[in-house]
Amino acid sequence: MATIQAQTILRDPQLFYWILFPITAVMVLTGVLRHYATVLMQSDPKKQELNAISEQRNLLRGVNLRTNHNQIPLSSFIARKNYLVAAYNRGDFLKDPDNKGKPPANPMTDPAGMDQMMSMLKGNMAMMVPQTLIMGWINAFFSGFVIMKLPFPLTLRFKSMLQSGVATRDLDVRWVSSLSWYFLNLFGLRSIFTFILGNENSADQMAQQMQQMNPAGGNAMFAPGQDPNKMFLAEAENLEVVGGQHEWVLDGVVDRLLKTRV
Amino acid sequence: MGILKLLLSYLSIHPSPLRNPSTSLHLSQQAPAFLSSSESAKDTQETWLIYEQLLLSCLRTGDDNSARLCLQRLSDRFGVDSARVKALTGLYDEATSRSRGELEAVLQRYQDILKEDPTNMPIEKRRISLLLSLGRTEGAIKALTSLLSHSPNDAESWAHLSSLYFTQRLYPQSIFCLEEVLLILPNAYNIFARIGEVTYISASAGASNADQIEAFEEAIKYFARSVELSEWYLRGWYGLKLVTGKLIQAKPSDGTLGKMESLNQLATEKLVQIVSKFRRNVKGWTGFDEAEVLAAKDLIDRDEQKISR
Repeated sequence: MATIQAQTILRDPQLFYWILFPITAVMVLTGVLRHYATVLMQSDPKKQELNAISEQRNLLRGVNLRTNHNQIPLSSFIARKNYLVAAYNRGDFLKDPDNKGKPPANPMTDPAGMDQMMSMLKGNMAMMVPQTLIMGWINAFFSGFVIMKLPFPLTLRFKSMLQSGVATRDLDVRWVSSLSWYFLNLFGLRSIFTFILGNENSADQMAQQMQQMNPAGGNAMFAPGQDPNKMFLAEAENLEVVGGQHEWVLDGVVDRLLKTRV
Repeated sequence: MGILKLLLSYLSIHPSPLRNPSTSLHLSQQAPAFLSSSESAKDTQETWLIYEQLLLSCLRTGDDNSARLCLQRLSDRFGVDSARVKALTGLYDEATSRSRGELEAVLQRYQDILKEDPTNMPIEKRRISLLLSLGRTEGAIKALTSLLSHSPNDAESWAHLSSLYFTQRLYPQSIFCLEEVLLILPNAYNIFARIGEVTYISASAGASNADQIEAFEEAIKYFARSVELSEWYLRGWYGLKLVTGKLIQAKPSDGTLGKMESLNQLATEKLVQIVSKFRRNVKGWTGFDEAEVLAAKDLIDRDEQKISR
């Protein structure tokens, strides 16, 4: 099979002004709009009670001990470990000691959970609504023709997605329609948004996706769907495990220092 | 340069201007100019940080009028009920009070605020400082301990508690608090040096000879770690030189004597380099604290005298 001759199509130079620019301009503007809309829609962080704060921070203390246990001598570590493990097992830091055995609060009924779910929902809406609108607009106005040639080859499977309006069998997959220009922009404009809006802008969908895929991140401890007692017990176990391998960072430090002298 | 940029660049060179009387003075002298300029109306995060620093430095140098104006603008922007603004207002009242009675009134105000809202951390910290100013160290220690029971991740409070214990000569407790700071900030080389210092001081203050030697060796390890983390850390080298010198004097013969002497030599070399480059104002070497450099020079000269004798 030889489609060695490159397929060339003559294109109207006006294409450039009437299609590529407008799509990019619209996407940049909606990105900026979305960013500011998200900023305005964010509700203030909810004020927490002292015992809730105490619960979270004391759990963090256990995590810190586990992470940095090599910085303190073994005896200090053991003293702290024993104290914390005993306290966690007894449930000393729990906000509601009576709720020990009960299942975690249902986000639907618990007001704290509600707020968090609402803000997640708002974020997702802010993402999806503009995307759908723009895609619909492009399909309505810019379908039925190809506008550019991709510099890299692709397999045949992409044909249906990237050449949506043009139903030909022989046309090389490298010729794509304006919808693919939209997709290219979607991923490529991230750096432009970072330039215009500063680092943590909400027009960045990648960061959001990564946050969703990383539930073990900071929010896990404070999410209402978790049972604090179980977390304390888990942390107590972790501390017991880590106690076996303690290498004080000060062991051999004099030798290390003298070695650098050479 | 606009005055805002000028102040920002000044603060980036001197990140803690209140430690030094000359930088505080310099900063507070800029205050009237800043307050009357139009740039002070800009609503950015940097502007408000500058306001806070100006407020503190003006109180330090006695410029109460500018301080009052800064405080006014901060409370207009953030509301009188903001936790931070309440703490700054309390600080202003403490600084401008003229009698012990007024200070006690401010203390009472803090307790009332805390009764209503026990989560107000800035006010809790202000109360602790006020207790210290009133001379009630034990009350301050108790208040700090209760703060740390609900917020054990606050490195600043642990460090503060450590210094309070140190003033009360409770050295093991002081070291415990410093270790807590290390758990939160494992690369804090200044804390390693501080633990070395406290270990050395507590050993010199009273242990038996054998314990002293052990404690000295431990102190040396802490200092070594601090310079391992930060190559030109003057306090670390100073401590190393001092304690290795003492150890060499105290221990006549042991396998580790050679190591101690090499350490001593290494520390001396580094200190000599720092002192000479600082004196000659070599570029990149002028950031050291002058008092510390003088102390280092003093130590070097003392040891040279001993050798030449």
